[in-house]
Amino acid sequence: MKNTMMNRRAFIKTVSVITAAVASIPSISMARLLTDSSKLTDEETLIFTKILAVSLPTQDSTLVDPNTLPVIPTLEGALLAGMEPHIRQGVRGGALYMSNEAAVKYGKPFHVLDDAQATQFLDEWGDSDAVPQRALAMGLKKLVLLAYWAIPSTWEPIGYDGPVSDKWGIPKLGNTPEPQS
Amino acid sequence: MTTNNKNTLNVHTASSIASGTLSLTADVIVIGSGAGGAINAYELAKQGKKVIVLEAGPYVPSSEFKEMMAVAMGKLYEEEGGQSNTHGDITVLQGKCVGGSTVVNAALCFRTPDYYLKKWQKDFGLTNLTLETMVPYFEKVEKNLHITPNAAHETSAGAAYIAKGLNKLDINIGNARRNIKDCALTGFCFSGCKTDRKQSMLVTYLPWACNHGAQIYADTRVTKINTENGSVTGVEAEVVDPNTKAKKTHLNVTAPVVVLAAGPIQSPIILQQSGICNSSGQVGKNFACHPSLSVTAMFNTPINDSHGATHSLYVDEHTLPEDGGYLLLNAIQEPVEASFQAEPGTGKPYVAYMEQYRNSLRLITLIHDKNVGEVTFVDGVKKIIYEVDDHDFDAMKAGLKYNARILFAAGADHVYLPTSNKSIIQTEADIDPVIDALKNEPARYRYTSFHPQGTCRMGADPKTTVVSPSGETHDIKRLYIADASLLPTSIGYNPSETVYALSSYIADQIIAQNYR
Repeated sequence: MKNTMMNRRAFIKTVSVITAAVASIPSISMARLLTDSSKLTDEETLIFTKILAVSLPTQDSTLVDPNTLPVIPTLEGALLAGMEPHIRQGVRGGALYMSNEAAVKYGKPFHVLDDAQATQFLDEWGDSDAVPQRALAMGLKKLVLLAYWAIPSTWEPIGYDGPVSDKWGIPKLGNTPEPQS
Repeated sequence: MTTNNKNTLNVHTASSIASGTLSLTADVIVIGSGAGGAINAYELAKQGKKVIVLEAGPYVPSSEFKEMMAVAMGKLYEEEGGQSNTHGDITVLQGKCVGGSTVVNAALCFRTPDYYLKKWQKDFGLTNLTLETMVPYFEKVEKNLHITPNAAHETSAGAAYIAKGLNKLDINIGNARRNIKDCALTGFCFSGCKTDRKQSMLVTYLPWACNHGAQIYADTRVTKINTENGSVTGVEAEVVDPNTKAKKTHLNVTAPVVVLAAGPIQSPIILQQSGICNSSGQVGKNFACHPSLSVTAMFNTPINDSHGATHSLYVDEHTLPEDGGYLLLNAIQEPVEASFQAEPGTGKPYVAYMEQYRNSLRLITLIHDKNVGEVTFVDGVKKIIYEVDDHDFDAMKAGLKYNARILFAAGADHVYLPTSNKSIIQTEADIDPVIDALKNEPARYRYTSFHPQGTCRMGADPKTTVVSPSGETHDIKRLYIADASLLPTSIGYNPSETVYALSSYIADQIIAQNYR
């Protein structure tokens, strides 16, 4: 735990990078290669898995159980791998910082909080007076939710039918003819 | 010079360009292949000039568009859709591909309001940009790009609900004008139009430029504009493999005329990298971006607002600054976008929210903002330094109230505000107290900007502006700028037609100054 803890002062110094990273990452580029630098550590995997679990408690709902989908591999291979290195490091540092702050509050890191505690923690940070806490709550949830909803099999239960041009048989118009002057 | 007349693109990509060093000569170099670059490439190639277009993004033909927002972000957008201000609370979306932002915008067009043309004449000495001068340019691009009002069927289910609310409140409904031909109503404007109905530069001005011999180099990022004795002489660029991000080729192009049209973030960065054009100290400053917030309404019945015209209607009764400074736009949205536009509460409230995706629609509030930001490039790191101004945030709050009233009048059961914390307006009576309580704080709101602008502003005074009224930079002869960085103030409306028309105007100035 100590090895991976991010010094609070160091975190605050880089907070703009981290908040920028977590608050605005909507892309999924499936073609990326998963490198060592984008692969999550075991602890990071536990943190993101916990955020996913409490963000999408799909039991008693019509949504697809995230445990049956490659959400974390999508997060690693598509989202993190596509980021600039300093942004990716900011996201990972932010996740560890959040987990450590949970340990300060509850005496145990984020991933071993019970679901009610983890849910409450995220909601409190989302309404915190501290900019980094708001940014992290909003941004880290956004990352895992994006990785979930980018998987097409999640769409059917909510009535979304995805791409349609081929399905509808819409012809391509091609390039528009040059105007004749 | 070779001409192809096939109405196709002459594109060179990293995979087809040899490694090492490549030297080229041209009459005109155009940096960027979006609205400003493509229009200048065509107009100048049509004059018989040898034109080379350098585009930092990849070439992605429309046949490869996937109609999935998350995938499009990774392939077609700057920083794979992750570009933001330094606080990280405003996502600044720009296209980064052959065709630029015109490939991924929603095609909504407005003529520049005369209000702003007059303001620019008065405050910036742009006495050349009168309505009388600009109307022929508006008419020209409207004809070339098929900018027409939406036909009656070019709408969406959500827009029909919003129209009911507007009618109930006796608010004028603006019918969208778009550069789209025979819209197929798929709703995938932001992911690129797979069937070429959107008249982006990819299917119009770029192939037309290639008909007259223009050559396009994709994956090619300009790193320096070369000058000699106060005149432009060419550029240095690097061809970057889009998969590995590794530099493959050093490209040197010489030409007596350069048109910089890399967009309002990249154009000032290229000038800063080159160390030119900043005698005024204004390069990169005066950034504005039209911050927008999506308000999501939930209904008790399915709306099914996932396909249709991306934009159908707008409300501009309060768009000029004196009237409030906000514009309302409807927009359909797919689940990926809906998934982070609201904060219903972590866990089961969120699951319940997404289960009701079909019952939701969104109405966007976009504000005219002050030019208070700055784009910098220091030690290889780009920064967009921008915070929403307090006065502008008041305009946003007024726009959010107006927005929520319309949604309740349309029959919404409740409304979600795009905040970091749970923020739901349950009844119409709650609109004012909930929105009045909002504070202008970083990382509190889920802003999106589609319209960065203003970072190389145009004006008559070289001491306060970067670009002269003709489009030529004050400092460097025959270096022209033609993109939204020129706009001296934000204009409160989608600026695409302004850029189309202004770029056409600048092309004529280049021809008049250099080729007649």
